[in-house]
Amino acid sequence: MAAEYSCLIVEDSPMMRQLLVFALARVKNLRVTEADDGVDGLRKLASTKYDVIITDINMPIMDGLKLVKRVRSDPVHKDTPIIIITTEGSQEDRQRALQLGANAYITKPIQAPQVIAKVKELLKID
Amino acid sequence: MADKGGRTHQSDVPVDDLKKERDAFIQQFFRKGAQLTEELLRENERLRDKVSEVESENGKLVAHLASDTAIRDLIRKIEDLETEKQDLLKRHARVEADTTRIDVDYREIEGELANLANLYVASTQLHSARTVRTCIRNLKELLAQFLGAAEFAVYMVSDDKTELLAIASEGVNPDAIARIPIADGPLSDTFRSGRLYTGTAADTSKGSFADPAAVVPMQLDGRTVGIIAIFGTLTQKTEFIHVDNELFKLLGAQAAPALVNARLFADAGRKVPGVQAFLAAED
Repeated sequence: MAAEYSCLIVEDSPMMRQLLVFALARVKNLRVTEADDGVDGLRKLASTKYDVIITDINMPIMDGLKLVKRVRSDPVHKDTPIIIITTEGSQEDRQRALQLGANAYITKPIQAPQVIAKVKELLKID
Repeated sequence: MADKGGRTHQSDVPVDDLKKERDAFIQQFFRKGAQLTEELLRENERLRDKVSEVESENGKLVAHLASDTAIRDLIRKIEDLETEKQDLLKRHARVEADTTRIDVDYREIEGELANLANLYVASTQLHSARTVRTCIRNLKELLAQFLGAAEFAVYMVSDDKTELLAIASEGVNPDAIARIPIADGPLSDTFRSGRLYTGTAADTSKGSFADPAAVVPMQLDGRTVGIIAIFGTLTQKTEFIHVDNELFKLLGAQAAPALVNARLFADAGRKVPGVQAFLAAED
């Protein structure tokens, strides 16, 4: 039986979430869970360990930077790969996220092949 | 020769001499015989060696002949294998070419699926809005996230059809682009012609109000009721690609109906008409 992977998408925009879900449907054996913002993401992380997390930087309530920091300080999730979604102009946010422990970043506008490639790379899927 | 009585025979040769002569002859005869025998023995020995040598040579030749046959067999085998190898190489090359083609096709299909996903999400998000505000928000997000638009405005035509009024904008001074008289220029031309305009600048991020990166006519019921003007894209988005053109078509066909539907739904107090409204529908 093929290994099953899990992915948590933390994104406040329903449109972007839907786009990411559609893109990641192309990755075999990947189960995707959606969260509306950082707080919702942490709530889901409290009960489940995911193989990869994709988070937007700019979100209400709790942004992506805070989420990355919280995830990295949690012994259960400290090694979980994190992909952040940034805009080209927000280089400082991107640097900050990488310093906090994010593993990779995707720049908007999102291209599905890039998302798929990045997730496969971090999950070490051919 | 003399007899027993010491008499000599008729010959004048004395008997002793004859004896000596006889003995000498015999000795010579035997010597020659011995010599001949020795020669014969030597010759025999030589011939025997020669026979042995010939036999050995013969053995070698037989072995060589057998070896030659084996070599011929091996050469034939090598030739067969070489032919087989060439055949396998050709088949391998064919399989490799097929694999490359399939890989290219696969990537194209993956790309097309991603494009379709983009279009599906865009369409769903446009039509899922039940308020004008949500519809505009989704439209703006779609323009920014899917098309990489950084400076843009959405216009509807005024009731008197003389100007275009901005109902939403991003990245530009709203006051500066709020009202556009329908006269000359890409925005007006696009509204009048109902045809997509793409800017003349090679880099779409360097578009301007005078020469926008793209202007999309919004259609409803066969009429152009507004436009979407993308003045410039994000710096990393320097050109429009295939899927962008598909998104332009989608926006052109679906943005206006989505906006109008959202408006009408809100005006109707978010009430769904009763089934009779559909059963009796003539238009």
